[in-house]
Amino acid sequence: MVLVSAVRDYINRMLQDISGMKVLLLDSYTVSVVSVAYSQSELLQKEVFLVELIGSKSKESMSHLKAVFFLRPTTENIQYLRRQLASPRFAEYHLFFSNILNDTQIHILADSDEQEVVKQVQEFYADFVAIDPYHFTLNVQSNHIYMLPVVMDPSSLQNYCDCVVDGIAAVFLALKRRPVIRYQRTSDVAKRIAQETANLMYQKETGLFDFRRAEISPLLLVVDRRDDPITPLLNQWTYQAMVHELIGIQDNKVDLRSIGKISKDQQEVVLSSEQDVFFKSNMYENFGDLGMNIKRMVDEFQQVAKSNQNIQTIEDMAKFVDNYPEYRKMQGNVSKHVTMVTEMSKIVEERKLMLVSQTEQDLACNGGQVATFEAVTNFLNDESVSDIDCLRLVMLYALRFEKENPLQIMQLFNKLSSRSSKYKPGLVQFLLKQAGVDKRTGDLYGNRDLLNIARNMARGLKGIENVYTQHQPLLFQTMENLTKGRLRDVDYPFVGNHFQQGRPQDVVIFVVGGTTYEEARAVALQNATNSGIRFILGGSVVLNSKRFLKDLEEAQRIVRSSTNAI
Amino acid sequence: MATRNRTPLFRKHRDALKNVRVPTISSSSHSSSGSSVGMAIELPNNSILHSNRSYVPLSTEDPGSSRGAATVGLPPAWVDVSEEITENMQRARTKMAELVKAHAKALMPSFGDGKEDQRMIEDLTQEITDLLKRSEKKLMKLSASGPSKDSNVRKNVQRSLATDLQSLSMELRKKQSAYLKRLRQQKEGQDGVDLEMNLNDKFKPKVEDDDFMDMGFNEHQMAKVKKNEAFTVEREREIAQVVESVNELAQIMKDLSVLVIDQGTIVDRIDYNIQNVAATVEEGYKQLQKAERTQRKGGMVMCATVLVIMCFIMLVLLILKEIFL
Repeated sequence: MVLVSAVRDYINRMLQDISGMKVLLLDSYTVSVVSVAYSQSELLQKEVFLVELIGSKSKESMSHLKAVFFLRPTTENIQYLRRQLASPRFAEYHLFFSNILNDTQIHILADSDEQEVVKQVQEFYADFVAIDPYHFTLNVQSNHIYMLPVVMDPSSLQNYCDCVVDGIAAVFLALKRRPVIRYQRTSDVAKRIAQETANLMYQKETGLFDFRRAEISPLLLVVDRRDDPITPLLNQWTYQAMVHELIGIQDNKVDLRSIGKISKDQQEVVLSSEQDVFFKSNMYENFGDLGMNIKRMVDEFQQVAKSNQNIQTIEDMAKFVDNYPEYRKMQGNVSKHVTMVTEMSKIVEERKLMLVSQTEQDLACNGGQVATFEAVTNFLNDESVSDIDCLRLVMLYALRFEKENPLQIMQLFNKLSSRSSKYKPGLVQFLLKQAGVDKRTGDLYGNRDLLNIARNMARGLKGIENVYTQHQPLLFQTMENLTKGRLRDVDYPFVGNHFQQGRPQDVVIFVVGGTTYEEARAVALQNATNSGIRFILGGSVVLNSKRFLKDLEEAQRIVRSSTNAI
Repeated sequence: MATRNRTPLFRKHRDALKNVRVPTISSSSHSSSGSSVGMAIELPNNSILHSNRSYVPLSTEDPGSSRGAATVGLPPAWVDVSEEITENMQRARTKMAELVKAHAKALMPSFGDGKEDQRMIEDLTQEITDLLKRSEKKLMKLSASGPSKDSNVRKNVQRSLATDLQSLSMELRKKQSAYLKRLRQQKEGQDGVDLEMNLNDKFKPKVEDDDFMDMGFNEHQMAKVKKNEAFTVEREREIAQVVESVNELAQIMKDLSVLVIDQGTIVDRIDYNIQNVAATVEEGYKQLQKAERTQRKGGMVMCATVLVIMCFIMLVLLILKEIFL
């Protein structure tokens, strides 16, 4: 509840003190921030009768309304406000910024406010998209930049880092804490972000971050996506992750228009754990259990529908009218989930994902080299398996047996490129170069030291409950190590001289390059165990395999074009 | 949940700049705009019947007018309508509180016949239903057409008021049906008691004196039965009345449900609404362009054809004139 309720509190405080009719003006980023946490009907209750994107070309003067701006303090937004203030459209201007304003920006605004319409200027640190109670994303544009070396494009990398640092700072300001910061040793970008964050929190804005708390400070751990490249490459079998992998979730919204004909009110649906009780209890369930639960829900609904059908007395009628809104809500919900699951099972059927996923899981977890090689070759020969699945299988194989058997990997490359023309040559090699065994810090396959090997073997002996969900993201291990205080200082060093005293109670893990819903699930399950540490997961975007491959391609394209130029 | 208020700093900068700017702009304009703003702030506090919900016009004087612009910031007429509705609803709310008290009183056992209570309840219910119905009619008037931002605001105001109205009528209905239920229970209980009494009355004569056995009820009993009947009829009428008003409210609910947003659906998403607005505005613009094009094209073509035809006719006339004259 932490992140979502923090954003909700900010919005409440923004709106409650201003009486009368209001207009809320948002920029393209704060729209996401507000809409995942707040709903239109709640806004109406707060007498916000119009929500506008800034930059839309409306000139209508509405002097009977008060304007509430909630914007990021970017240069464009400040310029926009300057033009607005020069010829005001609204009666009053209440300016809220989602992050730290610098002095010159305030000066510019003050300079343009000749008619004194600005009533207040505030910083409300809701600068992150809180999609779940313990999962936030920053929706950074051009997310591929983190893979590029610094020299390639210094200015956009700087932008990227600024964006991420601002987001992290806002999260900690919303939590009212100043963390100690650790980062993953082998990643340059993680190190840079960690250091810039520390610089902001301990030097530039030290007054703002000084909350005078005696408790143990929380921990911020900055890790790199490339430390665990397998999680975003796997097919997912738990509800939320699966929807994102197969259809795509954007700010808790699912767009179903792309897949076939669907009735008009179901083209776009909301999947929010805050508003949808069924989704909340099933978002981490695997596909089989989900089917059972949906069946139960449909049965329940049928019962209700039946009881609504026999209306005989006036009392029945009155009862029906009383229950009607509830009934309609239930109906919408049932049809939403049924549509989604039907669509997903269709896709699973079409792409033979059951089979593909089994091999994927084998590659990620057990790794019998001979058997998996055979399986991957078979899939490559099979025309009905889609190209993207083949590419992912080869990538997984290459990551697993990078050092053991380069020859076989070469064979697979050739097969892959002969199979489809769309495959950009060298993408797998690029992935190996980016996220190969030499670049990684964490023990991704659990085969580096004896303890991990032993643990793996023990798990193998115990047997696996579900073949499709046996993979545990590396993050799970990291969290376990953190809880036991075993995360090694050499691999995850501290920034500056702010060391951890005792066990932290709050840990924010930020994944540069994006999180996955599988990891969000691991975090949520970990938090449910009441280990005394509360984990919050954040990333620059929320990845699925499509998005991850797109980022890879984009980065590869830039690297290649720049090396050609040299 | 940390926040930082930058208003003082902003004010400082602004005041500093104002002092610099004073020589160029006449200082009177500043003071006048300042005072109008001050008025606008005070206005909502004293002129409203209801404190939590106020749709009072903010300021009748636009700060821009001091610069000589012609625009006066009077709110559009629909603001008054929305105000009336909120006022009505507020009245309905206070009436509701009275109604609850009256219900409680009517249900209490008393020695009088409770006629006054009944009448009061009837009157109150009637009044509230009236108020709600009137509000609903006004609400329908609020709707506007056209893709402009103002109509959007109106739609949203309408929605919000509809949600309020719905919850209000829902509350009223719940109260009424609860009252109805208790009333029925009481009635049943009373009938039961009466029946027993009658039976007892009947029994007693049987035992005491057999002579009266076939005479049925005695006069005293008859009077009692009659009184009971009258009472029952009265109660029946009351129940019918309450049912009627319940039905009326159901109608209102039905009309409102079109306007009210279901929570948790895509319609309730802020970004969806923004996109929708943008899309409709764009669509409207496109349609307008298309219409303009076709209109212009149609008019031009028509004009040209008419002219050509006229030319021909004139030419023929000219030739004919040349030949025959």
